[in-house]
Parts: sequence; structure tokens; C-alpha cells
Amino acid sequence: MVSGAAIFDEGDPEKGKALFISNCSSCHKIDKDFQAPALAGVESRWKSTDAMLVKWINDPVAALATGDAYVKGIVDRYKPQYGMMTGQPVTEAEIKDILAYVRSGGSKDKVVTKECITLEDMNAAATEKNSGSTTAWWLVIGVILAIIAVSAANISRSLRNAISEREGKPLMSEDRTYWQATRAWMWKNVVLVSLISLFLFLYVSVVGYKALLNIGVYEQYTPSQPIAFSHAVHVCANEIDCQYCHSSASKSKHAGLPTAADCMNCHKAVQTGTETDSVEIQKIYDAIGFDKKKMAYNDSLAKGPIVWNKVHNLPDHVTFPHNVHVSIAGIDCKQCHGPVQMLTVGRQASIEEINAQTDVPGLIKLTKQTLTMGWCLECHNTATVNIEPGKTSNEYYLEMHDRMVNSDHGLEELRKILADEKATVRELGGWECGKCHY
Amino acid sequence: MGMWKMSLLINSKHDPGNNRDLTRKMGMTKKYWTGMDELHHTDAFQKSLNNEMQQDQSVEDFLADGRLKETNTGRRDFLKFMGFSITAATLASCETPVVKSIPYVTRPDEITPGVANWYSSTYYDGHDYGNILVKTREGRPIYVKGNAANGWAGGALNSRINASVIELYDSARLRGPVASNQGTSWSSLDAAIKAELQSANNIRILSETIISPSTQRAINEFSAKYAGRVQHIQHDTYSYSGITKANLATHTKAVVPSYDFGKAKVIVAIGCDFLGTWLTSNIYSSQYGELRKPASGSMGKHYQFEAQMSLTGSNADERFPIKPSQEGKVAAALYAAVSGGSAIAIDGVDASAISRIAEELKANSGSALVVAGSNDPNVQMIVNGINSAVGSYGSTIDMGKPLNLFRGNDAAVQTLVEEMNAGTVDALIVYGCNPSYSWVDAAKFNSGLAKVKTSISFSLYADETANRCKYIAPNHHYLESWNDYTPIDGRTDLCQPAITPLYNTRYAQESLLSWADNPSSFYDYIRQTGNAGYDIAMMSTDMEWNMAVHNGTWAASAMIAETPPTATPPIPTVAQDLTAVASTPLMVADPMNLNDAIVKATSANGGEWELSLYQKVTLGAGHHANNPYLQETPDPITKVTWDNYITMSPADAEKLGLSIHIGQCDCANVAKVTVGGKEISLPVFPSPGQKSGTIGIALGYGRGEGGEKIGNACYQTGRKGDHLMNGDLKMTVGRNAYPLTSLSANTISYTALDVKVEATTEEYKLATTQMQATVMGRTSVVRETVISTYLAEKDKVRGTASYNKMATLAVHEDVNGDDEINNKDKRPVRDFDLWAEHPVENIGHRWGVTIDLSSCIGCGSCITACHTENNVPVVGKDEVLRHRDMHWMRIDRYFSSDFPTVDETSEQKKLGTIAAYRDMEDPEANPQTVHMPMFCQHCNHAPCETVCPVAATVHSNEGLNNMAYNRCIGTRYCANNCPYKVRRFNWFNYVGNDKFAMVNPAQDDMMRMVLNPDVTVRTRGVMEKCSMCQQRIQAAKTAYKVAGKMVADNPKLTACAEACPTHAITFGDLNDKKSQVRASHDDVRSYSVLEEVGTQPNVSYMTKVRNLKETIA
Repeated sequence: MVSGAAIFDEGDPEKGKALFISNCSSCHKIDKDFQAPALAGVESRWKSTDAMLVKWINDPVAALATGDAYVKGIVDRYKPQYGMMTGQPVTEAEIKDILAYVRSGGSKDKVVTKECITLEDMNAAATEKNSGSTTAWWLVIGVILAIIAVSAANISRSLRNAISEREGKPLMSEDRTYWQATRAWMWKNVVLVSLISLFLFLYVSVVGYKALLNIGVYEQYTPSQPIAFSHAVHVCANEIDCQYCHSSASKSKHAGLPTAADCMNCHKAVQTGTETDSVEIQKIYDAIGFDKKKMAYNDSLAKGPIVWNKVHNLPDHVTFPHNVHVSIAGIDCKQCHGPVQMLTVGRQASIEEINAQTDVPGLIKLTKQTLTMGWCLECHNTATVNIEPGKTSNEYYLEMHDRMVNSDHGLEELRKILADEKATVRELGGWECGKCHY
Repeated sequence: MGMWKMSLLINSKHDPGNNRDLTRKMGMTKKYWTGMDELHHTDAFQKSLNNEMQQDQSVEDFLADGRLKETNTGRRDFLKFMGFSITAATLASCETPVVKSIPYVTRPDEITPGVANWYSSTYYDGHDYGNILVKTREGRPIYVKGNAANGWAGGALNSRINASVIELYDSARLRGPVASNQGTSWSSLDAAIKAELQSANNIRILSETIISPSTQRAINEFSAKYAGRVQHIQHDTYSYSGITKANLATHTKAVVPSYDFGKAKVIVAIGCDFLGTWLTSNIYSSQYGELRKPASGSMGKHYQFEAQMSLTGSNADERFPIKPSQEGKVAAALYAAVSGGSAIAIDGVDASAISRIAEELKANSGSALVVAGSNDPNVQMIVNGINSAVGSYGSTIDMGKPLNLFRGNDAAVQTLVEEMNAGTVDALIVYGCNPSYSWVDAAKFNSGLAKVKTSISFSLYADETANRCKYIAPNHHYLESWNDYTPIDGRTDLCQPAITPLYNTRYAQESLLSWADNPSSFYDYIRQTGNAGYDIAMMSTDMEWNMAVHNGTWAASAMIAETPPTATPPIPTVAQDLTAVASTPLMVADPMNLNDAIVKATSANGGEWELSLYQKVTLGAGHHANNPYLQETPDPITKVTWDNYITMSPADAEKLGLSIHIGQCDCANVAKVTVGGKEISLPVFPSPGQKSGTIGIALGYGRGEGGEKIGNACYQTGRKGDHLMNGDLKMTVGRNAYPLTSLSANTISYTALDVKVEATTEEYKLATTQMQATVMGRTSVVRETVISTYLAEKDKVRGTASYNKMATLAVHEDVNGDDEINNKDKRPVRDFDLWAEHPVENIGHRWGVTIDLSSCIGCGSCITACHTENNVPVVGKDEVLRHRDMHWMRIDRYFSSDFPTVDETSEQKKLGTIAAYRDMEDPEANPQTVHMPMFCQHCNHAPCETVCPVAATVHSNEGLNNMAYNRCIGTRYCANNCPYKVRRFNWFNYVGNDKFAMVNPAQDDMMRMVLNPDVTVRTRGVMEKCSMCQQRIQAAKTAYKVAGKMVADNPKLTACAEACPTHAITFGDLNDKKSQVRASHDDVRSYSVLEEVGTQPNVSYMTKVRNLKETIA
């Protein structure tokens, strides 16, 4: 019955692996049904000729058209559930390699992903190194010293009273309170007290001012999220582009969050996570109503959208257009969002983290805290725009350049702008209120 | 300086040389005034002149509040509380706010979060019709504009249509079907209704005019199901049956023809507000706007005969105040003059004027148009006669392409009401109309309705009629619906839903079909309509259907199927009249018939007072009473918000002892009007231009008199935002004037010729904005000229025409080189600057706007469009009274009248002024009008910017005056320093304050969905003003930068320009040499308002040109 031992006998599983991944893996898995039936055991199942198998793989429609009974059988059986297979442009030799790989049961060794260290790991390591907070120790020492000082003062008073009693001098009045005593002491050392007070006043003012400046600054804000989504796994290990998930960043003022359907593009296949097994991924299935066992959508299971907590909050009176920065300025996401690939759940990067990045070409290092207006303005004061012919081919900026060149007054302005041989965003109006506030 | 002098347009003190010669020559000069107070220089006016913020009252009220004295909070306690509050507030603000971010589960392909989608659709409510584009954000409709590419007349809309988007979210809408005032399910409703219909012998459908082929099909299918028992009667809220009847008599076609005002070189309108409310006024105003472009050399001449000043009358070149009873006489006199009959004298109208107009009509035969607003068939027949005599048919009037709108039959409704009262109607289905409110004898209709066993309404609200019906099967809102409309033969438009139905509502058509046992969805039904024919073969394919949905219209025509014949002879409907006579050829007016009509139309003689009932441009026939945007938009003429009233000539009002100065503290006096035994008491508003001996009352007010739940904005609110009560019932906004209409010869008459008017002692506050935001009596605000002067100086450059001289100042140097230093040596104001120049000319963009005062008709579409686009809060009558309206865009209406010039000697003597005016004609009797849209002028040398202590308002390098709300601390110095008075202060947190949720539903949870997410919602204590739609400018710039292209000229970018039906507003980049705005900015007619102040605005106005012979200075 086995007519063509040849096609199932030969082949190089190593070559086959690469071919399988590029041609078959989007629908077939070896050990289980996926978008199409599992392939394991195909060599014993195939009840037609080798040539028909090659034809089937290359052009399923043509294979069906030959009227082959087995092919018709599998089409009848699987088409209602999976649809018609798409023909793959592979040679007979390649098919042999693929089948050899399928027979080998696929690669047993786990996919080696890139080594990705998260900021949490780094921070945890840092905390371990200098464990114990110095402030706490200072506090404890301070309290002990204060107790000693008060006790000493009491002892000193008792002793002095004892001496006075012996010498027949009037006692330091017993009913003099600590407050009166302190006041008396303060009057005696008025210069010292004044200096200390002045120092304290200045200290409190400076600390208070800094604290007030920090109102509304949420660097390192890391709200809890309904899904323990790891950017490290997606961005660093699997090298998924930011805009694959945040797809409206180039088109809209909002970067957008991926929809559950977007997640399903991969997670229909990737059902087990590297860190949380299937617990977190199951939440996506719950949201969209996906029955993992049947590999089918079932609306009655859908619980509705995933409610995330927003990480980067701007006040309502600010308009930040992502598309302007992504599509026109071509700014790297990391310029503002920092090393997101080193994060698990989203977090507002601090300016130090952003500046510490080494993998961002043309990173502009800024000093102000992130998501503050000062930070925006600082960048607008530094970032440059190509407005000169030769530097840009964007007709908008060329026209802007022309307008200035073609009027005397404008030429003056252009010289001012280009005095430092560059045109900053600020010089082109990037510091104006109406650009962002309306 | 004499008090009159203060407001003279040409002020000799400011501008001694420019116009003096002209003024002398004319012996007359023009004075502009906004209202009676300014004309008479009352104390209130003087006060408002100097006070930008009218807040005295509220402070006094605060101090006068008795509860203030009862409190026992000491100063120390107060300080403690305050300290605690500040600490608490500070601490609270340290906490990170948690904001939820919820992505779609599956994102619809067409939605990108943050990017708007536009859908073409069609608006029709039985009254107004317009092709629209609906803007949706993340699935929510938030803005409506005209479908410029494929719409009828370029998608011209009016404010009633563009403000209608907010009604979608009205929380007063019904959430599901209702049976006997109890909520029910659709299935049980259907079961109950079907059972009752089975046993009903006489079923009547009372609907608005049906112009939807598919709806007509559904009605036909329903009628076929209950064969022989169903009659369909159409009823228009505002009736035009006089026109259809007249056309049946003179042209054997019971139709409203289509008019083309754009082709008319001479227009005579008799009591007809064709720019504001008459028929498809939005279409006509667009045509009219095209007509009145002075650059073409001919503007068309517009004569208006009317009682009270209408929007149309205010735009007329010549206006003749007449009494309603004289409408027929004017028509007859004109007919006599054009057809060579014997002259008819009209009391109060110069006979030479009639013959002059008739000559002009004849001279422009073939391009003339006479229209009348009267619903009297006789008057309309005479008008047809005039039009026939001057060759209008086939040019400005097209009888072959009649409107399918307004085919209501008053006689049929009258018969129905009789039948209902006789108890012979078993079932009544009311669709799209509200006869319990608007029928001429609503009481009789209601008593009849009570006798109908099965009464069903399709209303979206439990309105006056629906509330009295046994069943309510609420229809979808038009933004939730599919529909097809044939407003005019040869044009079929599609209505497309822009949102899934918000509530458990159902298509009225689906209700009818399900009662006819057809479970089809209305969408499928519309598709079937197309496939089944109506002579549109192309409707059959999906691709063509999709194209039509995309465009909002079919290219081909569709005919409306007629109601199938029924067993009992039906009442002849208008449509059936049409079928009956369709085969007979068109006939020209029969002189015999016309003589009869002339006798009838001229026989009417009025009593002491005559009344005309009109529609307000803002509120129409009352469909939109729950729309706060429209309620707060000032009437174009009276500038009154939130009320209807009696318009009366100021002289008459004075005679009756009624107040003619209405202001913040000055109440209007209430008068009682008695018409045929019916009484109505309303405040009297002195309206210049009103014919003496006549009064006018607006229809469309007083909705919800029975306390029906039809939206908060229908009812008056008090100071705390609660609804004012009149016993157990909420007080309506205005009073219902429909009961004052009457039926005469089977048509509804909107005039009453013998009316009693009595003054009462009652007082009533009217919130009018005409005295608000005055320009402090400054001159050079309005400029106007006449066509001959304009044409003579057409080729001059801006600032040199005799009517539009650049502002100059005399200097102490010999400028003109005559070796003499005198007051002839002048330099332009522009040369004198305190400030360094903003580098905007030719650098980057310089956004600007021009407004053509010749084209602007003052309709107010721009106001409502600006409201919806920019989240402008509605503040309610109480706050408008305190001059706290928030309109970013307002339209100043100036009346003007000619005054004799006071020569220098008499001026010096301070004598003779009064003598000079004594024999002057009464200025308020028939003034001329100028409508002037006013908004932030985006001055390059803005006075507001220099006084802001926190630099919250600053200049952009694109010529805009920016407002950074978050920086504003509310000192209001800027508003005080603004010569144009266009800045608005947020006295309250309008969105968060319950008080305002009652006046403006946009401030409740549901309606907040209408807010534009691209524009900040301003909070209390912040100044705001027109941003020139900054959000749109930024979006356009971004789009073009991404595409790598220069921003293309888009003259309609701003909401106001987009909404203007007459294209009076042009936006653009003044640095773009090829832009339209550059061209109009440099036009000879263009000027800057208050140029002498040196603010250098980026907004220019184009001098109003009147088509008059006489030169006016």
C-alpha cells in the first residue's frame, strides 16, 4: 500500500525546520491541531501517491480537481473547519526535508530567546547590594541621642539642685517647666538660635519648593494592570515593533492600545507564556471569547474589553499628537518612553532612565522630569527640523523656506533662525501655547 | 459733542477729512444703533458702554441674601476651614489620578482612535431638509456639516440642522416602547396593537409629509394588509397648502414648485421669510448668497413688503412695512401694474414705489421672482399671476420639478379631527408630527384623540401627542437610521446611521411592516425598494448602492409610489390631486379665476391691531424646542434668547405705555392679546421696522405645556438651576401661539386681522443680547456703500475707495510736500506703533478670515456650528440676562437710519441739534439693517495680550491670538481691554454644575458625549474666545506635513465658514499669495474694524454694498 517510501524516507530535518517555519507553521503544528490539522503521523495517514502529495502541497485546488479519492476525503473532512489550504511554492526535495522534520517530531529544544534583563531585576539587584536604608538608621540614632540628651538634662538639673541645696543657694525653681527653661536658654544663646532658625527656615523653604514642583510629576508611575503584560518578553525577546501593537501612533494623536483581536494575531498560536504559563493569556481569551480547546471563537464566552490603567497621563488641556512626532519628526519611541523593552508592565520612564539609554540613535539628552511642560519645551528647544533645500524634500518645509527667502523681512528671520546653522522646533513656533493648548 | 454725534459712523473728531466732503454733499449721514437704548442713549446704555462685565447685580444679590446674616461662622473659624481646605486640596492633588484606558475588543476597521470618520447622510424632520456629513469620533456623532460635494445647493444647512446633533443624546428620549404609560416590550406591544388593528374598521395614519419612497412603500404595504380600512393623511407643522391650492387653480398642479433665487435679478417678497424659514430656506439662502456678489456687477434687487422685520426683510435693498391685511393688496397692485390693470392704492405705501417695482419686474422679465409667505390661496394665485406676467415660469420657478416636501393637506386633517370627534376612527397612527401641540384647534384634536380606541405614536419623546396616545412605538433618531428621501423629483438622497441606536427604539417603518406581518428590516426594505425599480435600474448592485451611501445621494431620480386606492373613497390628498391632473397640460393663469382671487384678497380689512404669526429662524416650527444651542442663539433681529414675545413698533409700544428699553434690569411689559376669544399674554419687544398697528408672535414656543418629558431645554429655570413651576407644571420657554392660528377656507391662516392688545401691569425679563458687548459707541465698525459707487471704484486698492478710506493720523511733518505743515499731512495709523512688529507677514503661515458683509444674511448658522465644534457652553436665560453668554461667534445687528447732518456752526453752538432732529422721520420706523459676525479678530497688535499679567493670551507666529486656558487666572483684564468685546469669561464650571445641566442637557452625563474631544472643555475662572478653530488648523498642518505637501487653500476650514450657507466667511493663509482669503483681504471693499485703534486684525470685513441708487455716506 505504501507506494512511495521515497518521499517519507529521505530528507534533512535541519533544512526542513527552516522550511517548515517559513511555509507551514502559520497554520500547522506538528503535535496538535491549530489553524489546520496536526501533521504528526502524516506518513502513515497519507493514502495516496507521493506525486499527489507534492501536488497537494503545491496546489491543493489542482490536486482536488484530479478527483483523487483520498484528497477529496481530506477536503471534505477538514475544509468546513479550517478552510482550503493555500498552495506553497516548495520543491519536491524541500517537501522531503519538511516531512523529515515533521517525522522528527519537531525541535525539542526550547526556542532560545534573547537574554532580557528588566529594570525590575536591575533594581532588585541594586537594593540587595546596599540593603537597609541609611535614613532609617539615621532616624534611630537621632531618637536615641534625643533620649540621652533629655535624660542628661534631667540628671544635670537634679545634680545642680543637689549642689545648690548643699550650698544653701536657692533651688532652681522646681515648677519651672521645660519650655521656660528652653526659653531661658534660647535667650542666653540668641545668636546661635537665630542662625539655626534661619537655617531651618531656608531648608524647609527649599524642600517645600521642590516638593511643590513635584506635584503632578509622576515619574516612574507604574499602575497595576489587569494583565501582567511583559514588554520585555514582547519587545526585547521577540522583537515586536512598538507600532505593531500601538498601531495608531503614526496616524493619530493617540498611540492606541492593542485590541484583544490584535493580541489574538499571535496568541491564537502562542497559548503559553514564558513567565506566567497560560494564566495571563487566558485573560485575552476571556475578553474576546475564545475557546482554547476548540480553537474557536464563541461570543457567549466574551467578557468584554480589558480595562487597562493609563500610564502616561497628560492634563486634559494638552494635546500631544503622536503622529506629528512619529511620522513627521521620526522620533524614536524610546526618546520619550525610555527603555520600554526592559519593563514588564508599562511605566512612566524617568529622565535618568531615558538619558542612560545607549541604543537610541540621536538620543536627545534632557534634564527636566518626564511629562512635564519643561521637558517638552526643552526638547523643542534642542530638536532640529530640516527646512533647507537639500536637507529635506518635504514640500511643506521647502515652501516655508521659500516664503522667508522671498521676502526681505523674512530673510532676516531666516538668518536669525539659522544663525547656529540649525532650525530648532522652537524657532519654527514649537514654543507657542497654541501648538499644544486648545 | 452732542449725544447723537457719539455714534456717528463718520466721526468728524476722529476722521476730519475723509468723509466730510461726502457728508456735506449728501446733507445726510448715517447712524448705526444696536437697539432702542443706544438710539435713545438711555442710562442703561451708557452704563453698558463702559462696563464690560455686568456683574453688579449678582454681587448685590449676594450681599442681599438674608441667609448670609444667619450664619454664625466667625472669622477665625473661616480661616481654620480655609486652611484645612487648602491643605486637603494640596494633599489630594499629590495623588496620582488613575485613568482607565479601554481598547476595543475588536476594532472596527474604519476606526482609528483619535481620528474622525465622516458619513454622508440626510436630515429631514418634516420641516427642514439638508444633505449632511456627520462627523463621528470613536463611533459618536459630534458634528454635522453640509455635504458640499454632493448635497442639494452645495449642502447648504441652517442652524436648525447643524445644531440637531445634540438632540441625539437628549436624555428625555424614550428608552423603549410604551403602552398605556407603562414601559413594555416590542413583542407584547406588537401583539396588542395587531389584535386591536384586526378589529379596527377605520385606521388613519397621520404623518408628516412623506418624501421617502421606502416609507411610502411601508405605508402602502400596511394599507394593503388592512385593505379598505386605512387612510393616510399628511400634515405639515407649518402649512403651505395655500401655495399648493393656488397652483392647482392656476396651473392644475397641486404642488410647491422649485424656486431659483440665484437666477433672479429682481426679487419681490411679500411677507415671505425665504432666507430664514420659508420652505427650503437653507437652499434659497445659498442661492441668494450667490446672487448678491457685488463683484459680478449685478447683485439682484430685493424688495420686501412685510409687517415685522424678518431676517429676509433685514437683507432687502428696500423694505416696505405693510400690514398683514395689505399683503393681498400689494400683490394685486403689483399684478395690476405689470399686467396693465388699473392701479390699486395701498394705505401707507407710495404708489410710485409700486409702479417703480413693477417697471423693474417687467424690465427683468424672465429673471424676476415674486414670492409671498401668505397661506391664503388667493394671494398666492395673484403672485402666480405676476410671475406668469413677468416670465418667471421656466426660469426662476420650475413647475416641472416641484418639491415633494410640504404636501400636507389642512382640509384632510380637519376632516380627520371631525371624524375622530364623531367617534368613527378606531385607530390613529401618528408619525412625525405633533398635532396636539401644533394643530390649529389642538383642544378639539385632543378630545377626538381621547375617543380613538387605538392611538399609536412613533415619536422619539413622550411629547404632547404621544403622551395622549395609548401606545408609543419610538422611532430611531435620524442619526441612527437608514432612510431614503426624494425631496424633489430627480433627486434621491440616502440617510445613513452614524451610530447604533442608543435605546431600545425601532424604525417606524419596521413597526408598520411588522403590523403588516412583514418581518423585514428597514435596511433590507430600502434595498428592495431600489431593486424593485422606481425606474432606477442602477440601484440593484452592491457597488452602486455603496457609492450612493458614500455620496449620500443617487444620481438618478426616483418617484414616490402613490397610496393604493381604498374601498371607501379617501379624502383627496395633495398627492392624489396631482395624479388626477398629471396628464392635463400646464395651463397659464386663468384671468377669471384671478379676478375672483383679487377681489377676495383685497377685500380684507384689518382692525386696530393685526397679528402675524411667524417662525423664528432659530427655533423653526417648534421641532427643536429641546435644543439648548438653538434656544440660546439670539434671534437675528431682536437678539432675544430663550423666549417668544410680541413684536411691536416702538411708537405703538410707547402709545400703550409699554417699556421700549429692554435690558438687563429693564423688564419688558406684558401685554394681553385676544384673538377670536383666545388669549395669550406675552412680553412686548419693541422691534424697529415693525409696521405700526401690527404685532408679531413667534410659533414654535411653549412646548411641553402639560409637563411632558421632552427635554430640559423646553422649560424655564430659576437661579438655582431648578425648573420654574407654575402650579404643578413646569414653566415653558415662551408660549404656544399655534392656538391663535385659524382655519379659513380649509387652509390654516397665520395672520389675524382683528386683534385686541391690552397692556398689563405684569413685567417680564427678556434676555436680549443686543445691548451686550457693545463696541463702546466707537465708529468705523460698519461700512457700506451702494453698487454704483462700488463699481465706479472697483479697481482701486484696499483703503483708497471713497467709502473705505484707510485710517490716518495727522503728523507734524510735511508729508504731502505742499511746503506747509497742516492737517492734510497724514500717515496711516499703521505707521504709529507702540509695539515691535510681529514677524508674520510672509513668514510661515498667517491665518486670516474675511467676512463679506454683502453676503452675510445674519442667519446664525455659524453660531451653532461654532458651539458644537468648540464645546461652547450654554448658560441659560438667567445668565444671558447677566450678559454672561459664552458665544465665541456673535452676530451684531446694526440698524441704521439717515440723519440730517449737523453743520459746524450748529455743532459749535451746541444748538440746533434737537431742532435738526425734530422734523426727522422716526428712525425706528423702517431702519436699514447690517448683520455683522463678530468674533476674535486675532489682532497682530492685540490689546488683550499686553495686559495679561500671566501671559495666558499670547500671539502665535501664525498670526493667531492664542489662549492658554491652563495659564489663565481670570483677571479679565483682557476682556476689559478688547475693543471688539469678543472675550468670554467662564463664571461657572458649566459642565460640572447641576444648575446648568438643567438648561443645557449637554452638561449631563448622556449629552456630554456630543463634546468634541479635540477641544478643551474650559472650567470656571477661565477666559475663552474664538481660536480660529486652532484644532482644525493643527490637524490640517499635520496632515499636509505627513504627506510632504504645502497646506492647500481651504477657505472652509473653520466651523463658521463651513456652516455659512451664503459663503460669506472665507478662511485661509494670508501668506499664501494664491489663497482666496488673500484676494478678498486685499479687495477694495475690505477694511479692518476699528482700524484707527491700530490693532491690525487678521480678520477683515468687506464693505456692505446695497443695490440702491441713492448714495449714502
